[in-house]
Amino acid sequence: MPELRPILLVEDNPRDLELTLAALEKCQLANAIVIARDGAEAMDYLYSQGAYEKRSGGDPTVVLLDLKLPKIDGLEVLERVKKDNLLRHIPIVMLTSSREEQDLVRSYELGVNAFVVKPVEFSEFFKAIQDLGVFWALLNEPPPGHSRYGKI
Amino acid sequence: MTETDSDLEACAREPIRIPGAIQPHGALFVLSPADGIVLQISANAPQFFSSPVRPSHRLEGGLAKLSCDLLSWYPTDAPNYQCILPEQGLAILAHRAGGNIIVEAERVDAQSLEETFHRLRAFVGRLNAQADVRGSLQAAANFVQELTDFDRVLVYRFDENWDGRVVAEAGNGQLPNYLDLRFPSSDIPSQARDLYASNRLRIIPDIDYTAIPLQPVLNPRTGEPLDMSFAQLRSVSPVHLEYMRNMGTAASMSVSIIIDGRLWGLVACHSVDPHLVARPIRDACDFLAQSLGMRIAALERIDEAARHLQLSHITSRLLAGMSTGADWVGALAAMGDDLLAQVNATGAAIITENTLHRLGQCPQEMLLRRLLDWLEKANGGDMVATDSLAVKEPLLEPLVETASGILAIRLSELHPSWLIWFRPEVVHTVTWGGNPHKVVRESGRIHPRNSFAAWSELVRYKARPWTEAELTAAKDLRAAIVGIVLRQAEELAELTNELQRSNKELEAFSYSISHDLRAPFRHIVGFAQLLRERERNLDEKSHHYLETISEAAVAAGRLVDDLLNFSQLGRASIVSKSVDMNKLVAEVIQSVSGEFQSRAIDWKVEPLPIAWGDATLLRQVWFNLIENAVKYTGKRAIARIEIFGREEKNQSTYVIRDNGVGFDMAYVGKLFGVFQRLQRPEDFEGTGIGLALTRRIVEKHNGSIRAEGELDKGATFTFALPTIEKKGRAIA
Repeated sequence: MPELRPILLVEDNPRDLELTLAALEKCQLANAIVIARDGAEAMDYLYSQGAYEKRSGGDPTVVLLDLKLPKIDGLEVLERVKKDNLLRHIPIVMLTSSREEQDLVRSYELGVNAFVVKPVEFSEFFKAIQDLGVFWALLNEPPPGHSRYGKI
Repeated sequence: MTETDSDLEACAREPIRIPGAIQPHGALFVLSPADGIVLQISANAPQFFSSPVRPSHRLEGGLAKLSCDLLSWYPTDAPNYQCILPEQGLAILAHRAGGNIIVEAERVDAQSLEETFHRLRAFVGRLNAQADVRGSLQAAANFVQELTDFDRVLVYRFDENWDGRVVAEAGNGQLPNYLDLRFPSSDIPSQARDLYASNRLRIIPDIDYTAIPLQPVLNPRTGEPLDMSFAQLRSVSPVHLEYMRNMGTAASMSVSIIIDGRLWGLVACHSVDPHLVARPIRDACDFLAQSLGMRIAALERIDEAARHLQLSHITSRLLAGMSTGADWVGALAAMGDDLLAQVNATGAAIITENTLHRLGQCPQEMLLRRLLDWLEKANGGDMVATDSLAVKEPLLEPLVETASGILAIRLSELHPSWLIWFRPEVVHTVTWGGNPHKVVRESGRIHPRNSFAAWSELVRYKARPWTEAELTAAKDLRAAIVGIVLRQAEELAELTNELQRSNKELEAFSYSISHDLRAPFRHIVGFAQLLRERERNLDEKSHHYLETISEAAVAAGRLVDDLLNFSQLGRASIVSKSVDMNKLVAEVIQSVSGEFQSRAIDWKVEPLPIAWGDATLLRQVWFNLIENAVKYTGKRAIARIEIFGREEKNQSTYVIRDNGVGFDMAYVGKLFGVFQRLQRPEDFEGTGIGLALTRRIVEKHNGSIRAEGELDKGATFTFALPTIEKKGRAIA
């Protein structure tokens, strides 16, 4: 069985990180979960550079991207990915505390695949993460030339 | 030009300084100061002088000493020479004229100079006791009448255009009343006025006199006529005599009142029959007129100072009044008397974009609007002043009665806003004391009634002119108003800046709340849940505590969300389109009912008019109102909720009524405030933002919302939205 491509979770807040991981754990996804704590780290992973120079595997199956991040913020990561012909196919889900309309509008302008406002109620949050994980990791059919199990 | 006019013009050209003849109540001769030779005499000289007075001869006998005195007086500074020749029974008055000496002689009567002097002294006392000009003039008229025994004495005043007016009168009833009568300037031509200013007293004892010619008529050495400007005996113009005749007077005397070198007015005396006043009395009258002049000058200066003071009080009162309130226009209108007094107007109007105040005698609104148009078109700058509006703009003639004179100041550069003062036509303000029907003696082509008519014609459409001081006062007031308006505009701009700044701060604040405040609540709820799942064996109490922690955090998170909704609404722009309110209400009821399935609710929903607005936001309105209705009817066995609406002229109105706990109308003002709750939280849950948000949405749509309620009976919420055609606010 080919290795499932990992989920890239970009989250700076340790508590949110822990909760999100707990939620993803419940989905019992087989995908590995790679954690980046800021935008720069996420870019390193996506471009296999810096600390991730020698990493194995292809593009992540989905990027769960927090909006507010140190160094390079979420919107900028989104913008760079969606402007890069090699990366733009990677689904990106924006996770945010923000209910700010302009963030939402800007994200969609930049080509985000989904935008999730983290609900306060844990059960809702949980459900949202689970749905996302399942949808993008398992159900979403990648564009031609990319497989759910890495490059053909 | 009419015949009368041309005659009067001729009068102005008449050679009144060189008539070549004298009146018969005295005699005159001309003496050469170089050699003491008599050059000319009046033909009646032999009847007056007991010693011979002949042309080309020196004076002889009893007059030799007079000749000597005159020749030694001539080179001095003294303006004239006066003496009495008791042995001849003559009073002598000499003055210089054209390099020669004119010597006039009149017979002196027996009246004691001393007695006259006493009466004069008493008069000066009386004059000084008068507090104002009017009283002084009246006192002078009375005294002259008493002193001279003329039938009527008038005090006559010139205005700045040399039109005249009778300002005081004393008489014995023999002659008609002329108080307040007006004369056009042509009645006393400038040539005569000049003469009056230099030669202060004239007398015509009998208009039917036969003029006495000079012999020879021309100066034998120069061939020039004799300049008799300053001769008391000078023969008067026939036009003047005709005027007197038409006035029904046979004798007259006039004394000039000179103030600061200018002819201020005249004391004019008339008699039905011929009347000669002896020279000492005439001198007393002259003295009196000059005392009066000084008194008037002093009083007018006092008046002017008092007026200035009063004016500055008025100005400061107006300014104080205007600057205290926000509504300076209203404040100004409330001080109507001061506003009129500021420029001595009889009426005023303040016209701004939204207001119209009419004060005192003011034209009707329709005429005011016409005037306003004219002011805007006249392009006269910030201040327009005229004393003859209807002459400038014949279309404004209907305003003549109240507004012949206007003084207008512009109040705004942006709108046609003006403060306009009014003065009536002068003719309307004049009352002629005399009863015109009684004036039977007047006849002929020129007489006072004609004068009044001529004067009326002259001042037709005219108001009393605005003085320099009044124009300045208006200008000052305008500067003050502009200052106040400007200051208010600046304050407003500053306030706007401040609001924008605090709005920005609020935005930043809500953004940070959105990000930072929600996260901890989420963490509390999340970890509590994880803990609960992990510890399956928690006792009931521990479980309850965990549950409470979660609920509290969820509630706090909701509060933050509601607050953010509310603040975002302030910044969001509305996308308006036609909204089917029936559909919205049905959806909301369905979603709310799901939440309260156990409740028995009797819904009564009538068809609602279409609304114009943002569907998402309007759904929020219905959600909040319907959820409230359901929530607050929670303790009723059967909740009744009615929803209905109606379409009106420019707005649609929607009503939701319930039979819930209601509220006390005393707190209705708090109902729509943020975080205002009228119920205890344990009775009804909620964040206290719902109705504030609802009102904000409705107002954002240019609508309004109101509530009525009765404690324990129910509540009714009514909101109105403008229809698409209407721009203004809809009133619920």
